[in-house]
Amino acid sequence: MKQKNSLPAVFLTPAMGILAVLALVPTAYAIYISFQNRELSRPDGNLIGFANYIDLFSDRRFINAIGVSLTWEAVTVGMTLLIAVGLGILLFECVSPRTRNLLTLLFLVPVILPRVSAAFVWKFAFHPLYGIATYPYKAITGQPLDLLSNPATALATVALVDVWQWGLFFAVIVLKLLETLPPQPFEAARLDHARTWEIYAFIALPMLKAPLISLAFVKMIESLRAFDLIYVMTRGGPGIATETLDMYAFSQGFIESGRISYASSMAVLMMIATSIAFTFIWKRVQ
Amino acid sequence: MTKPKTLVSSIAFACLLSTGLTTLAVAAECSGTIKVLAQPRDGLTLLEDYKSEFEKLSGGASFEIDYLNENDRRAKTKADASTIGKYNVYYIDEANVALFASAGWVAPLMDYYPADYDYADFDPGRQKVATYDGKVWFAPITGGGDLMVYRKDLLEAAGIAPPKTLDEYIAAVKKLNQPDQGIYGTALRGQRGSGANVWRWMPFFKGFGGNWFDGKTPVFDGEQAVKATETYLELFKYSAPGSQTGGWDEAVGAFTSGQVAMLIESTPLVGMAIDPKSSKVAGKVGYLPPPAPLTGGGYGHGLAIGVKANKDEASKTCAGLFIAWATSKENEARRLEANQFSELNRTSIMTSPKFAELYGPDLGQALADTGKVTAVNFWQSPQWPDLGDRWGIILEELITGTRSDIKEGLDELDGFAKDLVARSQ
Repeated sequence: MKQKNSLPAVFLTPAMGILAVLALVPTAYAIYISFQNRELSRPDGNLIGFANYIDLFSDRRFINAIGVSLTWEAVTVGMTLLIAVGLGILLFECVSPRTRNLLTLLFLVPVILPRVSAAFVWKFAFHPLYGIATYPYKAITGQPLDLLSNPATALATVALVDVWQWGLFFAVIVLKLLETLPPQPFEAARLDHARTWEIYAFIALPMLKAPLISLAFVKMIESLRAFDLIYVMTRGGPGIATETLDMYAFSQGFIESGRISYASSMAVLMMIATSIAFTFIWKRVQ
Repeated sequence: MTKPKTLVSSIAFACLLSTGLTTLAVAAECSGTIKVLAQPRDGLTLLEDYKSEFEKLSGGASFEIDYLNENDRRAKTKADASTIGKYNVYYIDEANVALFASAGWVAPLMDYYPADYDYADFDPGRQKVATYDGKVWFAPITGGGDLMVYRKDLLEAAGIAPPKTLDEYIAAVKKLNQPDQGIYGTALRGQRGSGANVWRWMPFFKGFGGNWFDGKTPVFDGEQAVKATETYLELFKYSAPGSQTGGWDEAVGAFTSGQVAMLIESTPLVGMAIDPKSSKVAGKVGYLPPPAPLTGGGYGHGLAIGVKANKDEASKTCAGLFIAWATSKENEARRLEANQFSELNRTSIMTSPKFAELYGPDLGQALADTGKVTAVNFWQSPQWPDLGDRWGIILEELITGTRSDIKEGLDELDGFAKDLVARSQ
């Protein structure tokens, strides 16, 4: 019995050891240098306590980045799930199984595209002079449509690309989940003259609650890593209208200032905020 | 008339190559791969065709070039040079040479640059921007100043003479702007960055008499900066769509695709605009120095010796040899032969019969004239990228309408500059 009990530890120890080195060491180092005033051009730094953290809260770009990041999370997660569920149900209800398979294949293409490639493709598509996506507007009104240069529309336009990649992919997952549900509850509801929307709202979706929550979590984590998409399409602009926290931290660390301690303090705050938020949401869901 | 000209230029070209072959005889002792981090340039791509020549010259070393676009190259070189130092040679530019030199990330070039390769032959303006604190840090791979490039056909049709002053230029831009015909008066750079929107704004600022610093005290927050910004924003009303958050690529793309009447841009634009392979307006293009009182934005990009990856003197010498070879007269002659106008930096090449034959006397004259108004517009300090990028963000906000108070933006930059100076001390 004793030998059997020690087996998990034998398998877990190397993996946990590697994880500790790969994850904990950089994290601990980031926390350490966040209390310093190190810059890339000056390798020596002094401990300055919480000065970087205090400075962050009087930094308008940091405050703006918090707002942009929260908006980005809410819009991309919400819209992705909405489109996934809507499209998944539409495919399940209205499309023959044969066509479904073909559409499933097509819906997988956007997510297979590397993020940077998708960003470039859409950046050109949204170009006000040559873009295929803006061409109909230009043809009808005679005026160019510059969505990525307009602070009011830039974030939504980039979010559209994110939703295009993930919403279609999640729609395929929702479709496959619907196909796995037992038909009896649906038949019973139809016998009781339930309308189609009622069948999905009160039977199908509640039955899919657990996988849908998992999808929401996956998308929340994925949306936090949208750096490449935003970087290619707008670089945080116009101005700072699409500058998320990770982009601002990268700018401070490597593009503009080389203030790696200041950038690290942002990264540490992001890590703490994300951990608390996810733990809270996870517990609420459970 | 053409045949003797061709003959003369061919002889000159052969002479340059033979000079190169003489140099080849002096073989060094290098081995391994010289790693270069650069941004895409036709001249560097062309070098890759002659790898075997460098192998022979260096005694066995090869080279490998990684390319990143300008902003990414700046971020990556900074990150690499300050941490692991994987690259033997960095592509640096006028905006960050002070930072790289003062941080000790690159070595003084002339300590390792073989005298045979004649550094003094580089264009004096480019030598100037490659120099910081009395030492030369990079060998130019591209550079120059600004030219006002215009569509001769559109100006003639509108009865407008090529403008010589800024007032004439603004009036011409307004008159030529016809969005309903798909023609825009100009194309500026709106994308944030010390090398993007700030680069195009600075000729106005310096032209109106502005200065960045007096010693360590910021002095830019004055009426010259306000006037420069007002003028820049005024011109943006007539700038091609996409340029509000676009950089060099968007501005040049709009002009070469025939949608812009005139613009003031860095000199390589001319090479692209007159080349039928890359331009729809080739044959319709004229060029003059920027209208008075604008200064030209003197710039230079080039190759520098990384300190961390070249741990000993021998490695630095090999990196120096690679840089000398890559920017040598014979390689520039090859670039000229390949019609790579923007990759030419040596006086001997730009005054050669072959150059005159390819580009005509007008361009040579325009380059000479613009050289007289070319200036170093930016603050020559290791902190410049930081300050320039911050102004770039504020300027982009003003261009795209996120903010409207110019003075408030400049005051914010003034506070940032004071903090920057305090941090550096």
